[in-house]
Amino acid sequence: MALIDTQDLYKIYQVGDVEVKALNGVSIAIEKGEFVAVMGPSGSGKSTFMNILGCLDKPTRGTYLLDGIDVTATELSKLAGVRNRKIGFVFQGFNLIKRTSALENVELPMIYNHTPAALRRKKAMAALEAVGLAQRAHHLPNQLSGGQQQRVAIARSLVCDAPIIFADEPTGNLDTKMSIEVMDLFTRLNKEMGKTIILITHEPDIAQYATRLIKFKDGQKISDEKQTPTGAKPAATEDL
Amino acid sequence: MIDAFISVLKISLKSIFANKMRAALTSLGIIIGVAAVIVVLAVGTGTKKDLAARFSNMGTNIIFLRQPWDLDESISSPKDVTMDDVRAIRELSSVSAAAPYIQTSFSVKYKNTSVSLSALATDTDIFKAYDWSVEKGRAFNDKEIDTYAQVMVLGATSAQTIFGDVDPLGKTVVLDNIPFIVVGVTKKTGSSGFGFNIDEGALIPYTTGKVKLNAGWSKTDRRALDRVVIRAADFNQIENAKVDIANAVRNVHRIHPLGKDDFQLDDMASFVEQAKSTGTMMSLFLGIIGAVSLIVGGIGVMNIMLVSVTERTREIGIRMAIGATGWNIRMQFLVESLTLSCMGGLMGIILGIVSTWILVKYMPSLSAQLSMSAILISAGFSAATGIFFGYYPAYKASKLTPIDALRYE
Repeated sequence: MALIDTQDLYKIYQVGDVEVKALNGVSIAIEKGEFVAVMGPSGSGKSTFMNILGCLDKPTRGTYLLDGIDVTATELSKLAGVRNRKIGFVFQGFNLIKRTSALENVELPMIYNHTPAALRRKKAMAALEAVGLAQRAHHLPNQLSGGQQQRVAIARSLVCDAPIIFADEPTGNLDTKMSIEVMDLFTRLNKEMGKTIILITHEPDIAQYATRLIKFKDGQKISDEKQTPTGAKPAATEDL
Repeated sequence: MIDAFISVLKISLKSIFANKMRAALTSLGIIIGVAAVIVVLAVGTGTKKDLAARFSNMGTNIIFLRQPWDLDESISSPKDVTMDDVRAIRELSSVSAAAPYIQTSFSVKYKNTSVSLSALATDTDIFKAYDWSVEKGRAFNDKEIDTYAQVMVLGATSAQTIFGDVDPLGKTVVLDNIPFIVVGVTKKTGSSGFGFNIDEGALIPYTTGKVKLNAGWSKTDRRALDRVVIRAADFNQIENAKVDIANAVRNVHRIHPLGKDDFQLDDMASFVEQAKSTGTMMSLFLGIIGAVSLIVGGIGVMNIMLVSVTERTREIGIRMAIGATGWNIRMQFLVESLTLSCMGGLMGIILGIVSTWILVKYMPSLSAQLSMSAILISAGFSAATGIFFGYYPAYKASKLTPIDALRYE
């Protein structure tokens, strides 16, 4: 069974008298261990699709099975636990909590699943080590570069051992060098840790890192193809 | 659970300390409210204890006879309280002493010293009524009373203040340009009983007081005594004594059996009641100020928490995205408002204790006593304020949807 399985998803907004179909019947299955890039112009419905996949929003119609759980039948308020266990988020704006150290930011998801403090610290340190930021554990977000902040966010997405990472324009605020660093990290997480990565981007260069490319337009999937990642450098793992 | 609470507490403290000035101003209402509650309770407790101590010193078999302030208008010809009443009361077996009681203030001059003191115009029965005694010299006698003699018995402290080490006996002091000879000094009682503080006062014959010093409420009737102080023979028979006195006075005043009294009798029990109810009113009044201040403080907390929720909408979105439930978010903001109000409460308690201490130091006449219950009550109030006024903002935060919260700029 696919890790992510959507059947005929619709998301319809009522704007005055007009119905706006942000999603217009999308069916996609994603297997465990895939690295999927989702592309499309703004307004294509890719963000709406991601929000639904990320259990942040619910479709108007259609079914969505996440690791066998029928998300559409679950109340939005009950989805917090699903997000915590199954999904790690990486956002364009990093979305770290201000005035809170890198380590504490990474610990945060574990507070919500009642991990004991000592174990929390240990796992958070391990996650920071995995993204190469162990030495920066006690720095505040504003003392870190954009690339480093994004790596802290990635560490946060890893720390609960969620099988899926959703990355919404993760390189949008980064320069080329930092973007390469971050994308290499995603590639490594996909290959070495078997994480399923779903990446939203509008940059073709960034989409090249994925093994599958899905394109959206007008609320519908217009193409879905396997590809050989060309962006990933073979020596990337040593660089980190 | 405790672990989770500690991490929530840490987050709260961090966000409070990030806006120190704002937090301090917000807490001000609570600080003032709690401090007010502490001072009120301390003064209330102190006053009650003080009253109890004063009354127990006084002995409680004292009864005062006087004309009421608010005399019933249906009484056509009310009679003043006079020596006729005193003499009739002295005949009663249930009474051991009765003395006229006219209190006035004078400035007393001796050589270059001028002191203001309270003088009681009375007769010698006052010693029996109040259990006072003469230590030096003598009390004035009946002859001196009958002849309006200008003689005086000084209280122990007054004598010390006016004369120092000089023997006051036989010395002349001037009261309102009228010379008086000091004939005696009373023994120190060491307590300021209810009614008249003899240690810091002086006694003169009531006749002299009325006629030569024009003392007392009634300036027209020379016979009128302000009050009569009566000592009941037996404390347990005080109610019987009051009945006897009332009958005797009615007889003297020739009141028809169905007529109303033109006098009133107060014993210590009724004074205690009066004083207590005054104290209760005072506590109630200050308590209302404290409560209003706490409510205003609570509204301040609510306001700042609403601002905080709005400011941190994005943070709420992040937390929700990574697994916080609405309940987690609600607890976080509730703990934050609770922390804010409890910190205010703590500062209020300190301010209250310091204020009470300063009050007692600079106003020695005021008695105040801090109690643990007062501190616990006010701590409880501040916590309740935090929860009550923090609930709505916390609820509002918990109702945000993660997607809207994350989009918030």
